Amino acid sequence: MTFADAAINTTIISKGLILGGGFIGPGIGIGLVGGNYLQAVGRNPGASKFLLGQALIFVAIVELFGLLAFASIFIVA
Amino acid sequence: MIGLLRVIASSGPAVHVAPAGVLQIGSLTVTNSMLYGWICTLFISIVLIWTAHRVTIKPKGGFIQYVEVGVDFISNLVEDSFDNKKIGRKYVPFFVTIFFFILFNNWLGLLPIVGEGFRRGNFPLLRPFTGDLNGTLAMGAVTMLVVYVASIRESGGLINYLKHFFVGNPLNPLFLFIGLLEMLTDLTRVISLSLRLFLNVTIGEILITVFAYLGHFLAPLTALPFTLLEVLVAALQAYIFTILGTMYLAVAVNGASEHADKTDLTDEAVPGTMELAGGERATHG
Repeated sequence: MTFADAAINTTIISKGLILGGGFIGPGIGIGLVGGNYLQAVGRNPGASKFLLGQALIFVAIVELFGLLAFASIFIVA
Repeated sequence: MIGLLRVIASSGPAVHVAPAGVLQIGSLTVTNSMLYGWICTLFISIVLIWTAHRVTIKPKGGFIQYVEVGVDFISNLVEDSFDNKKIGRKYVPFFVTIFFFILFNNWLGLLPIVGEGFRRGNFPLLRPFTGDLNGTLAMGAVTMLVVYVASIRESGGLINYLKHFFVGNPLNPLFLFIGLLEMLTDLTRVISLSLRLFLNVTIGEILITVFAYLGHFLAPLTALPFTLLEVLVAALQAYIFTILGTMYLAVAVNGASEHADKTDLTDEAVPGTMELAGGERATHG
């Protein structure tokens, strides 16, 4: 039996690629936002309350792309 | 709740993302998310009007105080994002309404009677209004419409409003290109606002369903952490939707008033001393 004979389920592979590839970006992005937020709070603890709101906004913006990747696995048929 | 979750677990994970019609009034089909939206609107109106009649100067605590905290939080947020607080004060009611509508919609959507647990035929009778793209798209469109109308009115005419897209003289090809690009990005805001809310709620629903299915007879135990996470996400999304709408409006309004009296970034505008967190003073320059 050669490799070409085996029935390859391309749907599963594509879904895996979408999830894996699509979650890398937001993962890095949220890590950067969180890390820089902690750094900023470490420098100026008084600004933590103000910065938390700003950080959450950017988390939500970054998160959207991960959610888009998750939603698009249902479109793949 | 345990019984309902077991029903989901035994029938396999299936979440209906598309709305389904439940009633037919004339030529208008009432979908399950619309029905839920109407019930929610009625509930929110009754609860908040009831609360408004019971607000006292000396708070007695309880539910009323939590509503007061929410209103106070959002109204401070909206007012503080504007340079001129009087302008911000005008738009507080709209944003507070949006905030409470999304918040209660999301939280009530976590109840077991909403969603897959309570079916009529093959489709759920009630679906979260924010878990339907039609609903969130309508909310995003209304918000952006309010933002556009308000920012054109506050910046004094369409020309003044369009000016804030350009950082410099529009006759400069670079600034012209950047300005046109800014305008294009502006149009994607409706989609990004609505998609963010819709996907967060729907994926939360899917997550809870999948973990209820995986848990089998321990469904309540496995689904509980994700339900609690969704309580947090629901509040966060309501906050994000409100603050993004506020920021879109504030950027346009503040930018317009800045252009009126030339922005001055010379050394005199920068304070020589600044307050540190510990109360010490540091000088620079």
